Amino acid sequence: MAVLELRGLTKRFGGLLVVDGLDLVVREGEIVSLIGPNGAGKTTVFNLISGIFPPDDGDILLEGSSIVRLAGHEIAARGVARTFQTLRVFLNMTVAENVVVAEYARGRVGILRSILGTPAARREARQLRADAEQRLGFFGKRLVGYRFDQPAYSLSYANRRRLEIARAMATGARMLLLDEPAAGMNPAETHEISRLIGRLRDDLGYTILVIEHDMHVVEGISDRVAALDHGVKIAEGSFEEVASDPAVVEAYLGKGDAIAK
Amino acid sequence: MAEIGTDRWVDEVERRRSESGALGRLGQILSRRWLAVFVVVALVYPFVVGGDFGIRVGVNALLLALLALGLNVVVGYAGLLDLGYVAYYGLGAYGYAFLSSDQFGIHAPTLLVVAIVAIVVFLVGALLGQPARRLVGDYLAILTLFFLQAFIELALNLDRLQLPFVDGPLSITGGPNGISGVSPMEILGFRLGQVRDYYFLLLVLVVAVAVGLGNLERSRTGIAWRAIREDTLAAEQMTIPTGALKVIAYATGATIAAVSGTIFAAVQLGVFPQNFTVALLIVVYAALILGGEGSIAGAVLGALIIAMVPELLRTPTGARFLFYGGLFVGSVALLRPWRRLAWVAGGVMAVGVVAKVIVMTLWPAVAAGEGGGLFDRWLIRFDPSAVTLVNVLFVVMIVLVLAAIALRAPWRRDPLIVLAAYTLVLVWENRLVETPSITRQLLFGALLVVLMAVRPYGLLGRRRVEVV
Amino acid sequence: MEFLLQQVVNGLTLGSVYALIALGYSMVYGILKLLNFAHGDVYMVGAFAGYAVLVGLGGPADPRVPLAVLFLLMFLAAMLVSGALGVAIERFAYRPLRNAPRIAPLISAIGVSFFLQNAALLVLGARFRTYGTAKMIDPGTGLHWGPLRISLVRIIVIVSAVLLMVALQVLVKRTRLGKAMRATAIDREAATMMGIDVDTIIIVTFFIGSVLAGAAGVMVGLVFSRVYHFMGFVAGLKGFTAAVIGGIGSIPGAMLGGLFIGFAESFSAAYISSTFQNLIVFLILIAFMLIRPWGLLGTPELVKV
Repeated sequence: MAVLELRGLTKRFGGLLVVDGLDLVVREGEIVSLIGPNGAGKTTVFNLISGIFPPDDGDILLEGSSIVRLAGHEIAARGVARTFQTLRVFLNMTVAENVVVAEYARGRVGILRSILGTPAARREARQLRADAEQRLGFFGKRLVGYRFDQPAYSLSYANRRRLEIARAMATGARMLLLDEPAAGMNPAETHEISRLIGRLRDDLGYTILVIEHDMHVVEGISDRVAALDHGVKIAEGSFEEVASDPAVVEAYLGKGDAIAK
Repeated sequence: MAEIGTDRWVDEVERRRSESGALGRLGQILSRRWLAVFVVVALVYPFVVGGDFGIRVGVNALLLALLALGLNVVVGYAGLLDLGYVAYYGLGAYGYAFLSSDQFGIHAPTLLVVAIVAIVVFLVGALLGQPARRLVGDYLAILTLFFLQAFIELALNLDRLQLPFVDGPLSITGGPNGISGVSPMEILGFRLGQVRDYYFLLLVLVVAVAVGLGNLERSRTGIAWRAIREDTLAAEQMTIPTGALKVIAYATGATIAAVSGTIFAAVQLGVFPQNFTVALLIVVYAALILGGEGSIAGAVLGALIIAMVPELLRTPTGARFLFYGGLFVGSVALLRPWRRLAWVAGGVMAVGVVAKVIVMTLWPAVAAGEGGGLFDRWLIRFDPSAVTLVNVLFVVMIVLVLAAIALRAPWRRDPLIVLAAYTLVLVWENRLVETPSITRQLLFGALLVVLMAVRPYGLLGRRRVEVV
Repeated sequence: MEFLLQQVVNGLTLGSVYALIALGYSMVYGILKLLNFAHGDVYMVGAFAGYAVLVGLGGPADPRVPLAVLFLLMFLAAMLVSGALGVAIERFAYRPLRNAPRIAPLISAIGVSFFLQNAALLVLGARFRTYGTAKMIDPGTGLHWGPLRISLVRIIVIVSAVLLMVALQVLVKRTRLGKAMRATAIDREAATMMGIDVDTIIIVTFFIGSVLAGAAGVMVGLVFSRVYHFMGFVAGLKGFTAAVIGGIGSIPGAMLGGLFIGFAESFSAAYISSTFQNLIVFLILIAFMLIRPWGLLGTPELVKV
């Protein structure tokens, strides 16, 4: 069953064609990796899906319905959440608040009742906090306990990346868009994040679209891989198929003679 | 030796907390129960101060506190730079005046008037706040600044409207003369005839708003606002309807300002365009920033300080207390060790004595001013006619103070400090003490600059990490 | 017809003044992303500096030097004093705040503004001072060309403003210093890595902007005669409006914006209503902010996600 479907997705910035007629299907419970050299348009695809700007042509279907005209927060509420290549955690808010805030759409208590501090409002606040703690527990003991109420800027880089994923999960999404989740991590952390992404699919049933440069990670987690270059999909299939595709090799490494030198 | 992989810092947090000592404990209690302390002090205040003037100062302080709290929602929570905020204060005041005076012959019951004003201003704020959805930072600031200017222009000029079907010019806002003869408030049969009544009404409101905002801060709306302030784009991607929430923050702040405005109009028994200036906007911002934006206690504290300290400057005695007190505290804090402080103080007096002797010998007429007491030996009192000389000294003083700040090497700096301090006291005693209204503004301006340089986050604000 | 031409001349005169003030705002914003609210008071100080020279050399009634020399000295004095003041403000009120939250320099700027206005009030009192231009130049002298009448004073103002703006353009576009200024405005950090002394560039920017404001102050004194301690507020506000409408951060934008506002004010005062002339200018700005916030010659900011 297709969770996400991109049909002929196209986007231009001024005269630059960044995404060119992209077709892609992501099925439920799959992990699909999006690879390609820098500037291939991968993050732009994420931005189009999550609603930061609209496509110039083509369609994006989430569980069969088009989400192209929706605002970012509506798309997120429909079940697609993402992380960012440049890591955009809310630095001056605590770890707990980062996760709780993502559950905004699922809160029921209105502003008036919040102001008055009714029992319902307080109950909901406690519930949200407990939920947040449970979600963060998925990542081991690192983000719970003492760290729970510390500002996010006090976290290490790897912990911030984990927090960002937890925050995306807290939106109640069923599909995650992870933009270079292993960027800047050492081999041990990279290994751990690969296993984590696998567990997200196996234990929690997420459908995941990943942008990644580290081929070990891609190989380890992907059900399918799609390769992009200059906005066009140049290969799709299993990791072995795509990795050995000559067009992909050329996109990354250039034409034959360049390697020999 | 700790094992590799354990987090000792985290494990030792309890030990650190229990070691903070008595003063630390007092600080913790104060920060939780500050509102109770505030209420107690505020209840006692009118009886300590007595007299109409003191209570009016209190009323101003509480009005400023309300305004700062409202601005805190817009700036501190949602991070919107609203430079037109005072226009809503004005809208509230004029709204009350429209419905409770002879301007249109309407004298509606107070609670109804306040309710109408609150609702109307909320809607106006929701409308005018729409640009906040799209406009970024500085552009929004500029737009709102001009909302305020437009408001002031309208208030000043909507008194000579020539409408085709009405005889004679129609006055809506009363123009530069405003609207006088506004009726006092009457709540549940009780007529608020005295300033003291409004003081207690405002106290109740400040507490109510502080509590309400405190609840809001911890609710999902409050956390969502802070996320919007941190990173609007990321917040939007995390299911937060940023556009709608920004507008709600803006409108909420506007409504709080408007309700304060109604009380202001009732206390003043009138409303005039001169009440709502950019200067007032700055005062509200100063109160908020001094206390630390984003902090409810800070907003109240900042407002109290900004409203009350200038009152000390009204009498020469009070002003001198503040000035020399500040000078003393500043010197002790900055001039270390004690020997250096002694040198500088001695130097100032020495310079003074020498200068006085020279001036009295060469130009006795100039130094013929009156005044005695402590300073007589070493301070020149200028004759009232030596105006230009004092003016020049004023400029020289500024240059010396700036130079003293700019230079680093102690052997170059200290003589400058001596000269700067001497001219400072000279100009103070000979001119500034006598013009309290101007001096107050001068000190306010200087305070803002110094405050930003020293503590840009305010007294109770928390240090923020800004991603550029 | 004569009336219309008169408004055009008025618009040009006002526009030149606003353009000079707007340039200071735009240049500083371009480099520091700071709205320098104290700029209007620098202009005011310039006007008074010119006044001081005027009075010091015999005043409007009996000048001790030929008029041309007198005017030149007034301009020089105003420009130097304003320039020095602008540099001092940068050094003491803004430089310590380079890394502080965005709102801190704004508050500091306002503190400086309060201080300057009240210092002027303290030193000079609340009375207006007049340049008394009519006593120095007979109001009738000027250009008469058919229905067109421009008084000599206005010619002086417009010509000086144009000369200053041309000089600025040459500086910015043709000199190495100008190139460094442009580079710093685009990316401050990269500029430091290219060997540009950014602190000096910032000082120069403030100096130039303030010099222009000082010149504008003298011009206003010559044309409108009255100078007073509060004059920086409204002129600053309108100069700021001009900078924003033209595209804040853009030098040609500031010039264009200044002319725009000058003409808008003249024509609305003459043809619509002089009561509401300020309001109309403010409404124009509000409209711009809603429709085209980056101004006439600015470019919308692209944010890379």
